[in-house]
Order: sequence, then C-alpha cells, then structure tokens
Amino acid sequence: MKKTWLRDYIIKRLLLAIFIAWAVLTITFVLVRVGPTSPADKYLANLTARGQDAAQVVAAIEARYGVDIPIYEQYINYIVNLGRGDWGWSLSTSMPVMELIKTHWIYSFQLIFLSSILAALIGILIGIYSAVRQYSKTDYIATFFSFIGISIPNFWLGVMLILLFSVKLGLFKTYYDTGIPLFSLANLQQLILPVITLGTGMMAAYTRYTRSAMLDNLRKEFVRTARAKGLPERTVIGKHVFRNAILPLITIIMFDLGSIVFGGAYLTEIIFGIPGLGQISFNAIFADDYAVVVAVTVISAFLILMINLITDITYTYLDPRIRYD
Amino acid sequence: MTNRLKNIKPIAQKVGDVKNSIFITVIALLGITLLLDIFVVEKIFNPLTYLYIVLGILFVRYGIPLLYTSRRLIQYYWQRASRNKLAVGGLAFILFLILLALIGPLFTADPTAVNFEEKNLPPPGFTLEESVYDLKTGQFITNRITGTTQHPLGTDDKGRDLLAMIISGARVSLQVGLFATGIAIALGTLIGVTAAYLGGKMDNVLMRFTDIMMTFPFFLLLVFIVFIFGPNLALIVIVIGLTGWTGTARLIRSETLSLRTREFIMASKALGASDGRIILSHLIPNVISLIIVIATLSIPGVILAEAALSFIGLGDPTVASWGMILKAGQQNLDTTWWVAVAPGIMLFLTVLAFNFLGDGLRDAFDPRSNV
Repeated sequence: MKKTWLRDYIIKRLLLAIFIAWAVLTITFVLVRVGPTSPADKYLANLTARGQDAAQVVAAIEARYGVDIPIYEQYINYIVNLGRGDWGWSLSTSMPVMELIKTHWIYSFQLIFLSSILAALIGILIGIYSAVRQYSKTDYIATFFSFIGISIPNFWLGVMLILLFSVKLGLFKTYYDTGIPLFSLANLQQLILPVITLGTGMMAAYTRYTRSAMLDNLRKEFVRTARAKGLPERTVIGKHVFRNAILPLITIIMFDLGSIVFGGAYLTEIIFGIPGLGQISFNAIFADDYAVVVAVTVISAFLILMINLITDITYTYLDPRIRYD
Repeated sequence: MTNRLKNIKPIAQKVGDVKNSIFITVIALLGITLLLDIFVVEKIFNPLTYLYIVLGILFVRYGIPLLYTSRRLIQYYWQRASRNKLAVGGLAFILFLILLALIGPLFTADPTAVNFEEKNLPPPGFTLEESVYDLKTGQFITNRITGTTQHPLGTDDKGRDLLAMIISGARVSLQVGLFATGIAIALGTLIGVTAAYLGGKMDNVLMRFTDIMMTFPFFLLLVFIVFIFGPNLALIVIVIGLTGWTGTARLIRSETLSLRTREFIMASKALGASDGRIILSHLIPNVISLIIVIATLSIPGVILAEAALSFIGLGDPTVASWGMILKAGQQNLDTTWWVAVAPGIMLFLTVLAFNFLGDGLRDAFDPRSNV
C-alpha cells in the first residue's frame, strides 16, 4: 500500500519537475527575446566602442546566435542545444560557456558548501541550547544576536569586514587570490571573511528556526512521557525532541539554499573577487555577454529545482504522514 | 448592579469612540500626507512617480477602506503587540524614517550638488590624512582634513553632503520597499484567496504556477531582468512586486482554506453573494492581520534586494539610493570609509526595525505560527 502511493508520488513529482524545468527555459528564452535590444545589438555596440569592424562582428554574432532563422526554430535550437550540453559561446571570454562554467563552479561551490555547513552546525547547536534554556540569559543573548544576524545586509557586512580586518588591521588580503591551490590552508584562510559574510545571515536564521522547532516539540506529550519514564535529559533532548524537530528544519535549510543563499553568494563573490559563477555572470552583464548570463540563471534555477525535488521526496519517504494529494 | 453597568457602558463607548476617531484621524492624515508628498515633495517626474500616483490612488481607494473595516481587529492586535517593547521601538524608528523621507528633503542641501572644495570631509570629530601634491613647492605634503558640523555625516569624493544623500536614499528605499511589497502582497493575497476559495482545478493551476515562480532564484531573476531591460527603478519595483508574491500566496491560501467552510461564508453564499464579493468583502478582511504581518516582514527583503542591485551597479543611475552610496564608499574604503559605513548602518537599522515590528505583530497575531 505504502509502496504504491510513494511510487505514484515520486512519478508525479518528477513530471512536475520536468514541466517546471521546461517553463524555466521558456521564460528565460521569452525574456531575452522581448528585451528592448537584441543580444547582438548590445554586443555590437560594446565591440565597436572598442574599435572593431562592425560588419565582421555582425556576421559573426548572427551566425553564433542564429538570429537569422525564424523564432520558433531559435526556440527549438535553444532547448535542444541546452539539452545536448551546448550552452553557447561566451563572446567576452572567447570560450564555450560550458567550459567557462566547468572551470569556475568550484569557487562558488566551496564558498556555499563551507558557509552552509558551518552555518547549519553552529546555528542548530545555538538553537538547541537556546530552546532548552528558554528565557535564560544565554537565550536572550542568542535571540538578540540572531535578530541582528538576519537583519544585517550581507554585502555591507562583507564591506565592513574588509574595512576592519583588511584595510585597518591588515590581517587578510582584500582580494581573493586564485593562484593559491584550492585544497590548502592558505585558501581556507582567505575564505574566512567570505564565509562569515555569507554564513552570518544563514546561521542566524537557522538559530531561530531550530529554537522555535525545538520549543514546539518540547511542549509535546511524548516528551513528558519520556521524562516520566526516567530517561536522562540528554536522551530526551537528543533522541526525542531533536529528531522530531530536524525534519522541518532540513526542508527550510534546503529551501533557503535555493532562494537566499544563491543571491548571497552572488554578492559575496563580487565583493571579495571570488571567480565563481556569480562573478562570471556579473562580468558577463557588463560585457553584454548574454549566453553566460542566461546559463548561470538557468543553472541556478535547475539546481534549486533538483534540491527541492530531492527534499520533497526524502521528506515524504521519511515522514509518511505528509501526503501531497 | 444595573446602575453601575449603565454608568460603565457609556464610558466604554466613549473610549471606543475616542479610539475610533484617533484611528480615523491617523488614516486620514496618512492619505493627506501621501497626496501632499506626491504632488509637492516629489520633484523629479520619473516612471516611479507615476507608479507612486497609481499605487497611492489604489491604496486610498481599496487599502484605506479595508483598514477601516478591520479597525477593531487591528486595534486589538496592536494592543497585544505593543506589549513587545522592541516592536514599539521598531515602529517608532519606521515612523521617524518615513518622516525623514517625507519632509527631510525640504530642509537639507541638494544631495546632487557637487562641490570639489569640500570633498572627502569626514564627519565632525574625525580627521583624514591625505597626501596632496603641492603645486608651489612640487612636493607631496600631508593634508589633514577635519570634519565640520556643517556636514554632520561628512561628504563624499565629489563633495556631496552625505546626510542629504542618506535622506534622499531613505526616500528611495522606502518607496521601493512599500511599493514593491504593496504589489506583491496584493497579488499574493488575490492568488492565495482565489486558489483556496475556488479549489479544485483552479487551485491546482495557481499553485503549480506558484511552484514555478518559486523555482527561480529571486535575486538572480531580478539581475537577469534588469540586465535585459536596463536599470530603471520603476521596473525594479514592478519586477520585485511581480515575482515576490509566492510566499504570500502560499501562506494566505493555507489560512483561507480553514475559512472557506465557515458558516458565515456559507451564509453569504446562500444569500446569493457572488464569488468576487465573498473574496473581497468576507475572506480578505478576515486574513488582514496575516497580510499586515507578511507585509511588514517582506519589506526588509525588498529594500535589501534593491540596495544589493544598486550596490553591484545594476541600480537606477538617476537616483541616489543607499546601495549606490555604499558602492561608491566601497571603492574608496581606505580613505573615505564613512561613505560606506553610513548607508549600511541606515540599511541595517531599517531592516532591523521592520523585523522587530513584524516579529512583534506575528507574536500578537499567533504566537505559535512560523510565518
């Protein structure tokens, strides 16, 4: 019984994901086409301003973008090419977009990975402590600081960290050095400020979520039962309360990862000059390089789609009480 | 006993009347300041001004009557929320900021006035050591610049008064925050209530559409659209409004689902009220407290999004917003650090104030909910 509805649910959810992916592609395509200037025009203006021959550039761009064929063929080409892994040609860096993304994704990944893991660990621990000692001094301090954490604009925090630790105290470099190998202590050291910049808001949010989720469960009957049968407090909190609080927490963390963290990482990369996907999209915007901007937007949307899909399916599997009909 | 009751009742009624008239006065003042502000203070006519006029009229036509019909509910919740000192403080700061944005531009210097003789002035009490090439001796000399009280927050590298810039930035941030949230909340409420009330296929279609919208990373979509259509504050506001309604729609939908089967809805249906009338005059007024909470809690995100856009250089270049000042400050961090500090502090305090207020309102509305 359980197996069949779970399978049906997964199939339904997958179909929905495919539909959403198609919608994402279509929306980006439409947006680019209804824009006031065509990609070629913008890029042409950019290149001729730098003193290149206009006619040559036009021919090259039209062939690249395929704007001389009817719009429905362009649309089909766009979808088919993306599906085949051909993400177009980056005019500003003169390499395939796929190549560009392959060399740069790791920088975004290391930043997001480190920040989320640290933020989740510290945030959840503080949240648990805060909930267990509700209304204690520590709880008030934690609540107050989590309020500050969620309110502080992360790009401003980044600028202030640079001002204090790099400009005034000279403890860190003001810019990210790509010459340093990825898996080295020096790289970790230069990631400290960016991770704090991106992680503070997340950590504060997770502290708040954990605290309220723990408090919700601490009031439940089964906690009283667990205490009444003489279980040590450690077991009650760790095994009974936290286990019930963690599921909704994971969904929120996953959802945040998509909606908030990607935007935060975009800004953090720009402030510290980390050459991740945000930075290349940012550079592409000012070079009017459409293919890269579209690719980064679509990839982020797809990643979020996948994260949501996995979260939903895991959630339903782990907690069969939840049924989406 | 009965005598006492007779005495109490008129007093209670009087208290109610006073409260009522205060509420009406506040709402009327709100409307008048809005109109005055649109036609007197707003000097530059750009697309945002037209948006301001349209939204202002819509607010006076629909928002104020809605607030008026729900005045008792709002008063009740505010009484509970006002026990939270942080929420009251947040509201006080927001009111101060609104006042600053409304009448501040009338008293301060022109925020766009460039004056190179007074450039890089630090705030009073601070000094800046600058190495300057001296034309007479042909040597570099160290120039110590001290701040003056004439520019309480100092000036930037073009000699513009930072306080005037901050005040004009407050105007931009509040306009963006309020307008975009207004659009998003109105859309989200309509979609959420309609989906819940009509149910079935309509509900399915609307909610799947919400899912699609939610899949786009909000900030990247904003960047993408600004990249394609060019930076323009009115466009930014509309885009944030048109993309930011998803969370509202979901929350309002789940809230309305429980209202849908209540007796008073059945009764008005039985009396022959149309779907539109039930939605507008029965369902929406009953979720108004939730709408206010969501609105308060979404404004900071919107203000931050616009500031972030301006900060990375995708903001409207014709208006001095906090994000843009911050960006200019970031480029000269080693000398004129105050240009980066001041707008950030304002941004931070504004967001904090809205979060405190929203949190207090939510607790008053439903202490157990996690909006």
